[in-house]
Order: sequence, then structure tokens, then C-alpha cells
Amino acid sequence: MANFSKNFKVQSTDWRQALKSNQRRTLIVIGVFILIYVLLGLLIDLFINAEKYPQVPLSVITQALITLHLIPYATLITTLVAIISLWVTYAFADKLMLLGTEYHEITAENSQNLSEKQLYNTVEEMKVAAGLRYMPKVFIIDADYMNAFASGYSEKSAMVAITRGLLEKLDRAEIQAVMAHELSHIRHMDIKLTLTASVLANLTLMIIDILFYGILFGQNRDGRSREGGNWLFIIILILRYLLPLITVLLMLFLSRTREYMADAGAVELTRDNEPLARALLKIQGDYDQNRLQYSTEYKQTPHEEVRRAAYIFDPTAAGLSAKQGGSDFFSTHPNIVKRLAAIGFKLK
Amino acid sequence: MAVWIIIIIILAVILGAVVAIYNGLIALIEAVRNNEKQIDIQLDRRFKVFESLINVVKNYMDYEKSTLKEVVALRQQAQTAKVQGDTAHAMAAEDKISGILSGLNVVFEQYPDLKANQNALQLQEEIVNTENKLAYSKQAYNDSVERYNAKKKSLLQSVIVSTFPSKLDFNFPYWNLGGPEKIKEREDYTVKM
Repeated sequence: MANFSKNFKVQSTDWRQALKSNQRRTLIVIGVFILIYVLLGLLIDLFINAEKYPQVPLSVITQALITLHLIPYATLITTLVAIISLWVTYAFADKLMLLGTEYHEITAENSQNLSEKQLYNTVEEMKVAAGLRYMPKVFIIDADYMNAFASGYSEKSAMVAITRGLLEKLDRAEIQAVMAHELSHIRHMDIKLTLTASVLANLTLMIIDILFYGILFGQNRDGRSREGGNWLFIIILILRYLLPLITVLLMLFLSRTREYMADAGAVELTRDNEPLARALLKIQGDYDQNRLQYSTEYKQTPHEEVRRAAYIFDPTAAGLSAKQGGSDFFSTHPNIVKRLAAIGFKLK
Repeated sequence: MAVWIIIIIILAVILGAVVAIYNGLIALIEAVRNNEKQIDIQLDRRFKVFESLINVVKNYMDYEKSTLKEVVALRQQAQTAKVQGDTAHAMAAEDKISGILSGLNVVFEQYPDLKANQNALQLQEEIVNTENKLAYSKQAYNDSVERYNAKKKSLLQSVIVSTFPSKLDFNFPYWNLGGPEKIKEREDYTVKM
């Protein structure tokens, strides 16, 4: 495309490197989540034991807990709660994603016209390229705006969905690139990862709340006070206001990391970065043109928030500021300039 | 006593690592084999799809050819009957043409792919899809060979591979065009209109 070489410095994508470095970032984020969770469990144990043995200094109790001289019951219980909640979430989390939209499924037999047939074919081609063992279900959402998303991680739950607007306005190669991006979300197990992180985040916030109110109403029950207790209260107070922010930022960082990975995965499958770049620019351009109409349409669709992180393009974050390369610290998707740069199209 | 426990733990960890590496390599080898057969599957699919496409087009063209001849002949009859003032005969010929055309519609219904101007596009889509799948299955095969080779040659894995060479050491060739002449031929190929 002519305007590409005019506006962008075009390179090939090193998708192997991109996948590797983002995988490392994911591990760090999940590690931090687990660390926060375990530390919080230990904090409860510390709190309980401080009540139980008022004479012993906190540092001694901490040491006893870490060396397992005192069994950290609270940590064990919170860990068990986390495992059970995750298991339940994995088992029941399908079918959430299409909530509130008008949609219909496309199969090899029921495709009505050439573009629907083409859509199904491109998904099938990407399935072959990915060596995926099952074919995800394909849905068309009846909406004018251009967007697509994927969900699920198993034969039963895997699906990709695309809006009619996207289907009509992109050509075959571009649809293929978008579908490769979505299929990469599925094969990278991004939905499972996001679920895991959000379950851990929610539990973390619940626990800190319980701890906070426990200490607020439980203190000085028997009229005794201890010096260390105040420190503990201050820590819990700070955490109660800091942790929600930290978990949200971590979740958003994780989401952006997985978007970069899905873009790299799309290039891996199609071995071509240009159609994806073209599709992203088209979606952004189309959104800028019809901003008012689309934002009302998005608003009128119920349960839009369940899909926000899964979309190929986040309508809430796509502002002019994003286009000018501003910070994307608070968004689920990296801004388009950074995404294009990551697949080899550096803005001149 | 404590020394023995430590030794046993170390041995258990080593054994676990060996089993994990072994199983991982077996999974990679089977993935390569499956992907290799996927190329056969796509070749088979291409053969069958193109055969049936050719048949549909042939049937359609035969039908169209004979229909066209018939319509032209009836048109001639109607024309001459009209000139001769034989209205009843002319009407009958026109009716027959209508009959043929509605028959043609039935045929179109039987082959929805041939309806309207979409035929060429549908056919093109079918061919592109088939060829893409074939190409992507080759790509998937090469990707799995890459994953296996990279794993097998990396450290620790290579030690296990040399311990069980008959089970773990295979030399899967990458799919390629084969021979520099063939590559040159494909590279020089251009579409001449």
C-alpha cells in the first residue's frame, strides 16, 4: 500500500521475539498476583497471632510463620478458597461473551453469501495454520461498528465473533489477519489467563476488606493495646486503598501484553504483517469517522463491559490522545501507534 | 539419615525432570507426524473439491449449451410463425421458451453456487481457500519441525535425546520445493495475460 511507505518505516515482524518477551511479562504479572495474594494471607495470620500472643513482638511472630513454627492457617484457607473459585470459574465461564448482542452462528453449510463463506474459510485456514485440534464456532454480530473478539479455550467453549460492519468493510486478507489475531487469543489461552487474574484480584480485594473491617471493629475489644498493633493497622489501611489501584493496573498491563502477543501470533500464522496493519488502521479510521454513532451503539448494547478486554479494538480507549501516542497506562489495549510499531510499522 | 533424604529428594527431582522432558519431546514428535499427514489431508481435499467443482461446471455448461440451442430454435419458429400469420403456433413456441427458462431456474436452485454473477467469485473463493489451506498445512508442519528441532538440540534435552536415541531422535525434513532448479523456476514465474 502506497500510503504505508509514506507514513511508516516498514520492517518485518520478529514474532518469535515478541511472543517470548510478552510471555515473560505475563509470568511476572501472574507471579506478582500470586505473591500479593500469599502475602495477604500471611498478613491475616500475623494479625490473628498478634491478637493471640499480645506479648510477643511482631517480628518474632513473622519469623515463626515463615519458618512454619506457627502454622499459617489463614494463608492455607485463602489458598484453598482461591483454588476452588478458580475451578468453579473455569467450569462455568463459557457463553458469557455474547451477552446482550444480536448474533447468529456461521457454519460451513449455512453461510448465506460469499462474504460469510469467506469468513468461515479464513477461520478454517487459520485453524490449519495454528494446528488447532478443533474448529472454533464463528459468529456474526449484527452491528455497524467494526470489531471482533474471541473467547474460550477448549473445544466446547472456543468461539470467534465479528461484527457485520467489520465483515463488510475489510477485504479477505484483512479479515484473515483479524481472525488470526482472534485465534491467537484462543491458542494462547488468554481468556483463561484473564479469568485467573480477575478472580485473584477480586479475592484480594475481598480479603483486604474483611481484614480492614475486622481490625476496625475488633480492636481494643478487651481494653488492651499493643505497640505493634498500630503498625499493623496502618499497613492494612494503606493496602486497602492501594491494592485496588495496583490490581487494576496489573490487569490492564496483562491485557495489553496479551494484545501484543495476539498481534505477534497473527503475524506468525499469516506470515505477513501488512494486512493486520491495514485492518487496524481501517478500524481506527472508521471509528474516528463515525465516533458519535458508534459510541451510542456501543452504549445501547447491554453488557458491553464483558467484551471490552477481548475486543481487537477497544472503543472506550480509542481517543485522539491515543492516536497521538499518549500514555496507555489505563487502557486494555496498547494504542494503535504502539501496536503498529510492534508489528514493524514505525510511524515516521 | 538427613543425607539420605536429601539424596532421595535430588534423585526424585532428576527423575521427574527426565520424565517431563521425555514426554514433552514425544508430544512434539507426534505433533510433527500429525502435521505431516495434515498435508496429505489437504492434498486429498484439494483433489476432491476440484473434481466436484469441475463436474458442476461441466454439467452446467452442457445444460446451458443445449438450452441455448433449443431457445434459439424456438425463437426462430416463433418468428417465422408470426411472419406467416400463424399466431397460435408462435404463442406455443413462446410458451415453450418460458418453460425452458423456468427449468433453468430450477437448475440454478440446484446449484446455488452458480446463481447470478457470483459464480466466478464463488469459484475463485473455493480455489483460494483450498490452496491456502494446503499452504498453511505445510507452514504448520514446518513450524512443528522447528519446535521439535529447537527443543531436541537445546541443553538438557539433548542429553536425554542421546540417552534414548531410538525413541526421541528423529530427523524430520522441512517441507521445501526441493532442488535449486525448482526454486528458480517458481521464482521466475510471472503471470502472462
